Amino acid sequence: MVEVGDKLVGYATDDEVRKRGASGGLVTAVLAAALEKGMVESVVVLKHIDEYEAVPIITDDVEEVLASTGSMHSVPVNLAKYAVDRKVAMPGKPCDIKAVIEQSKRNMIDLDNTYLVGLNCGGTMPPVLTKQMLIEMYDIDPEDVVGEDIEKGKLIYRTKDGNEKAISIEELEEAGFGRRKNCQYCQLKIPTNSDLACGNWGVIGDLAGSATFCEVMNEKGKKLIENAVEAGRIEVAPASDKAIAIREKVNGVMVKMGETTQEKVFTQMPDEERLPYYREALADCIDCGGCKLACPVCSCGDDAKCTLFHSLGDNYKMSMFHLVRLLHLSDSCIGCGQCTDVCPVDIPITRIQMSFSIPVQTKLNYKPGMNADEKPPFFEVMIK
Amino acid sequence: MSDFEPDILTFCCNWCSYAGADLAGVSRLQYPTNSRVIRVMCSSRVEPIHILEALKEGTDGILVTGCHIGDCHYIEGNIHTDERMKEIVDALEHLGLRDRLHLEWVSAAEGKKFQETITDFVEKIRALGPNPLKNNKKEE
Repeated sequence: MVEVGDKLVGYATDDEVRKRGASGGLVTAVLAAALEKGMVESVVVLKHIDEYEAVPIITDDVEEVLASTGSMHSVPVNLAKYAVDRKVAMPGKPCDIKAVIEQSKRNMIDLDNTYLVGLNCGGTMPPVLTKQMLIEMYDIDPEDVVGEDIEKGKLIYRTKDGNEKAISIEELEEAGFGRRKNCQYCQLKIPTNSDLACGNWGVIGDLAGSATFCEVMNEKGKKLIENAVEAGRIEVAPASDKAIAIREKVNGVMVKMGETTQEKVFTQMPDEERLPYYREALADCIDCGGCKLACPVCSCGDDAKCTLFHSLGDNYKMSMFHLVRLLHLSDSCIGCGQCTDVCPVDIPITRIQMSFSIPVQTKLNYKPGMNADEKPPFFEVMIK
Repeated sequence: MSDFEPDILTFCCNWCSYAGADLAGVSRLQYPTNSRVIRVMCSSRVEPIHILEALKEGTDGILVTGCHIGDCHYIEGNIHTDERMKEIVDALEHLGLRDRLHLEWVSAAEGKKFQETITDFVEKIRALGPNPLKNNKKEE
């Protein structure tokens, strides 16, 4: 049977599911089987609305799980908080999984009850900008798009009339489109922190496009796969050495890209420019509190220090709210980009936060969201 | 900036540093009058928020003092202080407020050290100039 550490290639047995899924429907089938066999009470999935919109739903209906979407590159939602206080199985990008693990460290999520199916992720795109990009760069009406693909560093859009157009991601990003800024310097592309790391990297030959490569990361992942095989929902076979090598290669290229971008984005600033920069950047804040609400790591609730000691009467220029958040999250920011996404006045909060977090996390040698047994360094002071 | 007199805030722990400050007083050791003392039960009571608030309100420098490692009245309080201050010093440096926060261990017997610490710190801040966050209230 399946062992922890196994690398498999599999697909859903149901043809309909296999066709609709982004790559073989394995993830959908695994989630459905977990629900069917009572391993979990509900499943978090994305309900497809159109190519640029999908809403997360928590469902206990197997049919609804099977009808859920394939991969959505333009829906940058973070699912972590949907798992709070529930016994669920959920799919997730690496940053979703990171957030779930960070929540579990804060006693908000019980990892024993939560099954995490990770999905390889090369980055997500903001929906509004994507539509604009389609019009300006691709010369395609956003409504005509029926599918998208990323292949060999190119973003491909297929339209209703059967045409497709490819433009390299580098070119798009230079024009200010493409992936969200934080995705461009993200360095976790294969969710090795999940229970089951799935994706289409490393699926080759006849199976390309209709099977999923998955790596069993721990006991829970093993249970998920075994359960789905028993339920007759999926078929798996060990992956070939060539497939494994290709997956590693794709991952290597993506991570390298992330590292290079990170070096480019986070350059050292001279001392005297720092304070004016932060004051300038945060001056626009309208105090909506959206970044705190959207943050998948935050778990203080209403009585949080960042809001309790902050008042609009103070001043805008050096918002206490942001200062406290910068310090409070410096060890735990996972760089998911939700705060930048929700900000109504377009403050690049993730970038500002990461410019604090990267040095702190490097110094403490701590990677948030990777290992559930590793407590955040500010929680535990080691008595040397 | 010859007439610049720095405002210094000193946090003293109840058990060592405050007694150290007391000793400096009864020993009649002279030190600059720029510093105001806030007594806390333990140096680990000092949170990032206290420091940020002080800086935001225009304090030029903040001195945190506590018992020597191993002498803490609460056994390990000052170990937490140490870890915490390191992070805040780094964060302030990142914000462009380098050298405005200093941590020093002062025991109850070290009146002399308390005097020297305050004197040195005041001189250091005097050389550094006023806190750029001063007069930070919204003007426009």
